[in-house]
Amino acid sequence: MENKLQEVNEQAAVNASDALSKLIDRQVEVEISRTEVKKVEDLSPLIGPEEIVAGIYLPVTGDINGAALLIFPKETAFVLSDLLVKREPGTTHKLSELDTSALKEVGNIISGNYLTILSNVLQIKIIEHIPNFSFDMFGAIVSQIITAFAQNTEKALVIEIEFTFKPETFKGYFLLLFELEQFKAMLGSLVGVAGGGVKAFLETS
Amino acid sequence: MDIEVHMGDIAVIDGPHNLITSGVGSCLVVTLYDPKLQIGALAHTMLPLSPMQSTEHDTRLSGSLSSEAPFGRQTCIVAEQVSAKVEDTKYVDVAIDQMLKRMESKGAKRKDLEAKLIGGSNMFPSFNSDIGKDNVLRARDKLKTEGIRIVGECVGGSQGRSVEFSPTTGVVTVKIKF
Repeated sequence: MENKLQEVNEQAAVNASDALSKLIDRQVEVEISRTEVKKVEDLSPLIGPEEIVAGIYLPVTGDINGAALLIFPKETAFVLSDLLVKREPGTTHKLSELDTSALKEVGNIISGNYLTILSNVLQIKIIEHIPNFSFDMFGAIVSQIITAFAQNTEKALVIEIEFTFKPETFKGYFLLLFELEQFKAMLGSLVGVAGGGVKAFLETS
Repeated sequence: MDIEVHMGDIAVIDGPHNLITSGVGSCLVVTLYDPKLQIGALAHTMLPLSPMQSTEHDTRLSGSLSSEAPFGRQTCIVAEQVSAKVEDTKYVDVAIDQMLKRMESKGAKRKDLEAKLIGGSNMFPSFNSDIGKDNVLRARDKLKTEGIRIVGECVGGSQGRSVEFSPTTGVVTVKIKF
């Protein structure tokens, strides 16, 4: 599974780099620097709960129900907005509708690429829905997604990805949440060839 | 010293410290205050109604902070955080039952209690979610059933909130983004 995840990450980074380079009209390299699998209740320490972030949330359905959530810390969202709408660096201090729309498009690109590749590698149907945007406290944004999961399951699988746009090094977080039982069932055939932390997590969860 | 109450937990306090909880979105914070005894309780709930309505499964976490109190004077057991088992007090109805149980065990009378509700947002206005609204409606209904007055609300909308609650004055301070 970890090899599969690695494969998904590498392909997704390449595809997202190409797509974002076209969107921004300059070379951008998306690097997925960290992937972690966490229980949903361990998610919050990622960023302080009161820290203001831009959150782009895409519901996921198909063979598996879940959520894709892209998080940019406030300053990163401002820098990224300057790039996306071609303003002088340091211009954005408040997000306009245009900025929001551009950031949602980034969410679409990153999530769409990742989920398409995940779908191909795992041979499952994954449908990504339209992006929803919030610019507010990290804890408030994430807890709403967690709460939606808590209605159906006590545990969820969280794939946490930290990525970097080069040459600038903005960091963002891409969280994929799936109901654990569904995910385990789906991965049944893959766990046998898996190794390391993900397998251990799935077996002990 | 402030005592943080995490998502899905409740805390009951009879000392001078404030209860705080941050990043409240669709979740609902319920505070109960007894002005006569100057004790209070805070719940950071996530969902409206427990599927089993079982309240027997409460796991108490510690809470003696006396050793950390600056002078130790008149500071006994300050707070009792109840149930880190998220499957219990994450529900509005269970959390209110548990808070009442703890408050009454400290001598509080229901007729004296004052409730405040904070949260119940929908952080993604373009996404149709009723969780926040349902939390608020459930809390109003439950408190009415239990005979508790609601004296203040800061609910709904699409913004995150952080909450600070003083059990000695009953004052709730709500922080928002700007």
